[in-house]
Amino acid sequence: MRIVVAEDLYLLRDGMVRLIEACGHQVVATASTGPETLDALRTWRPDVSVIDVRMPPTQSDEGLRAALAARGEMPGLPVLILSQHVEQLYARELLADGSGGIGYLLKESVFDADQFIGALERVAGGGTAMDPAVIAKLLSSRSPNRGLERLTEREYSVLGLMAEGLSNQAIGRRLFLSESAISKYTTSMFGKLGLTDDDDGNRRVLAVLTYLNRA
Amino acid sequence: MRLLGPWPARAGVGFVRACAVTVVSMLVPAVWAGAVALGIWWGAGNPWSWLAPFVLVCVGALLLPRPVCGMVRLLVAKWTGTVVPAGYRQAGPVTQMSTGYWWNGFGYERTDRDALLDQRWRVRWNDPANWRDLRFTVIAPLTAGLVAALPPAGAAVAVLGLVQPGPAARGAGVLGLVAAVAGAPYAWRPIVPVTARFLRPSPAMAMADRVDELTAQRADTTVAQAAEIRRIERDLHDGAQARLVALGLSLATADVLLESDPEQARALLRDARAGATASLAELRELVQGISPAVLTERGLVDAVRALALDIPLDVAVSADTPLSLDAPIESAVYFGVAELLTNAVRHAQASRARVSLVHDGAGIVVGVEDDGRGGAGDRAGGGLAGLRRRLAVFDGTLEITSPRGGPTRVRMALPCESL
Repeated sequence: MRIVVAEDLYLLRDGMVRLIEACGHQVVATASTGPETLDALRTWRPDVSVIDVRMPPTQSDEGLRAALAARGEMPGLPVLILSQHVEQLYARELLADGSGGIGYLLKESVFDADQFIGALERVAGGGTAMDPAVIAKLLSSRSPNRGLERLTEREYSVLGLMAEGLSNQAIGRRLFLSESAISKYTTSMFGKLGLTDDDDGNRRVLAVLTYLNRA
Repeated sequence: MRLLGPWPARAGVGFVRACAVTVVSMLVPAVWAGAVALGIWWGAGNPWSWLAPFVLVCVGALLLPRPVCGMVRLLVAKWTGTVVPAGYRQAGPVTQMSTGYWWNGFGYERTDRDALLDQRWRVRWNDPANWRDLRFTVIAPLTAGLVAALPPAGAAVAVLGLVQPGPAARGAGVLGLVAAVAGAPYAWRPIVPVTARFLRPSPAMAMADRVDELTAQRADTTVAQAAEIRRIERDLHDGAQARLVALGLSLATADVLLESDPEQARALLRDARAGATASLAELRELVQGISPAVLTERGLVDAVRALALDIPLDVAVSADTPLSLDAPIESAVYFGVAELLTNAVRHAQASRARVSLVHDGAGIVVGVEDDGRGGAGDRAGGGLAGLRRRLAVFDGTLEITSPRGGPTRVRMALPCESL
């Protein structure tokens, strides 16, 4: 994959580039400010980009804004946002356009190289990778008429893992259940929430996230 | 007593109040008049007979104004709710210096008893409020006192006139009665503006109060700041720092074991990773408590929106945008809203809340409302008292209305120019 890395701290940027290249992917450009990031995304249209939220020149949410702007121009451009903290507010903004190819993870997710690269690949393929903390907040945010209370405990945990972006297979591994059991849970869960089930995994996850974001 | 009660009741109450105003405001002139009468009675021609009256006048002028003014303030506050601050000078602490002498704010004394005595004397007699009180005891009888004397005087004329035969006396009596009854509901009222105008603290006294207030606030802030820094130091010391040491230890051990026992080395590396994750989580929590990242990245309004999303309540946020405030004020408002919303969840058991952020020309006004069970109050040392103190640093105010059964409405107002 051709990847753009945007991170203002040299040590982190360098480490990430090394990790990505060690896993056999190519870093085509790096950026250390918001405007540079937007330029790199426009020039390279990478398969996926890793972007830090806080960057110069303003040290505010430059990275996030660059990512949102780039996705405004190039719908569906896969971006993985990395941050020292996750905010439900930012997650909702990233999910607002309803298209896939979105990741939002804590920076420590790079500690597990396999999972990190897995998340990158998922996002590059149009899927999603959301931090469990964000999903937990999205699930627990108190809005009436969400229908979540109709779910069984097991369906609820499947919903959470699916919203993080995991495939049925991966969810099955996490919960020590067979894939067919998981798909049974997802069917009944989709029925209860009134969502149309889709064979395509990415589209299904997106449907769940859109549902959570709307409520 | 209701202000618009039946007319006779108003007249009756007014009459009693007018009498009270007359008595209180005429007290000092009465003493002076008494002194003069005494002097004349003893013999106006003899200078020695004026000695006792002179003492009486002095005592009246020195000792009576303060109790008279206190009484007037009390009556006005009781009748109309208008509280006129007294603004008398307050005695500071008496402290023993390293030399063994006692400092009372004015001078040094050998013992604390002397220092206290000296201080009480000086605070009482060096107070600029004494001149104000004396001036009031001269002005009040000539203005409010005279007006308030009308109903009692009318009543006196009525009684004297009506018991005497003769149409002229009777006519005067009827007139007095009419004046007394018609004037009663109104005659006591001039004491209110006169008190507000002449008994309020002078600019110098208000300034002195302000200095005292700021000194106390500064002391508060310094203590709170030091405590906060100590808390951060302790958190870092027991948390992230200790974890980083453990992490380094794991890595060093793994380094040693890499060749001889790769399995154990791998387990140590896994531990190190878990330790790094845990210390990051700890640091994140610490940073959130000092200055939330979203506040730095997005400013106050979005930070409050983010807060509203994370609170297990249905919170509606409305705001004037853009609000560009100074960072310290943003932080104070953010933590204030956070505290109020947490209270709404924890104590009021509310299900929904509303937060509004608006600027009203002079500063920012933040309203937080919930539909909980109310009953929130300022307890000394409680969360709301702490919030009030933190806002006071910016001259901000906190108003709470929280009847039992709810709803709770809180209004924070902070003056700021950078809008």
